[in-house]
Amino acid sequence: MGDFSDIIPKVVDATVEIFTGMVMMEINQEGEPLTELGIIKDSITGMVGLAGTHKGMLAVHFPNDLALAITTSFLGMDVEEINEDVQDAVGEIANMLGGNVKTLLTDKGYDIQLSLPSTISGEEYTFLADNDLQQIVIPFTAPAGNFFVELELEA
Amino acid sequence: MAKNVLLVDDSSTMRKIVSRSLRQAGLDFGDIYEAGDGLEALDVLEKEAVDIVLSDINMPNMNGIEFLREKSGRDGIKDIPVFMISTETGDDIIGEAKSLGAVGALKKPFTPDKVNEVLGPFM
Repeated sequence: MGDFSDIIPKVVDATVEIFTGMVMMEINQEGEPLTELGIIKDSITGMVGLAGTHKGMLAVHFPNDLALAITTSFLGMDVEEINEDVQDAVGEIANMLGGNVKTLLTDKGYDIQLSLPSTISGEEYTFLADNDLQQIVIPFTAPAGNFFVELELEA
Repeated sequence: MAKNVLLVDDSSTMRKIVSRSLRQAGLDFGDIYEAGDGLEALDVLEKEAVDIVLSDINMPNMNGIEFLREKSGRDGIKDIPVFMISTETGDDIIGEAKSLGAVGALKKPFTPDKVNEVLGPFM
């Protein structure tokens, strides 16, 4: 699981805080963390890059239906297709979570800078970590579907 | 008198959320202006009667720290108070922001109650 496994419970707490406090959606962490996700279908992924003393990446993978529900709740208006609003909302969730991870790693003595958030989406894609990065995927449940928070970090 | 607010964030979603949180927090504010980065924010400040700025840090083109530095050198706008609203609330980055004139910081994620607590005294 790597030497950053100690921050995983705090990443879970930060994810729950973001959803309950700002998305206004109750979520739960359920299931054991995974080391890889495999093929991702009909989804959108938000991600921020980590650079500095340790390179890596923080990503959140949402199935489309859940991404639409999140954006609808975020903005207080109906959103029915994956559009710029959805990309922006998903990117902002990744950005908020990335900021929390940066703070957690800074507390461990790492010096980390964050990239601006970006998103990818599609009917079927895979998300592969570099060989020199440790990878952990945390599963969550939400009313409109399950999603994953993925952290990759240089050892 | 109600304060005019400038929201600076590259995420339009986040600008909408902050705007909604200001309303939910029950704060007395006037017009709300928006900017997508520090450059746009400087342009708005030069043209509009803004009383308080709420700014992200991590933005393209001109980030929140660069915005503070540039603003501090402009006589007409340098005294307008700025709050940082960011995921990055480490002592180093917030210390740098405060050294450049930021009066406070609000960490994302936040609740309307937290918005009221932090911004209330300035509104």
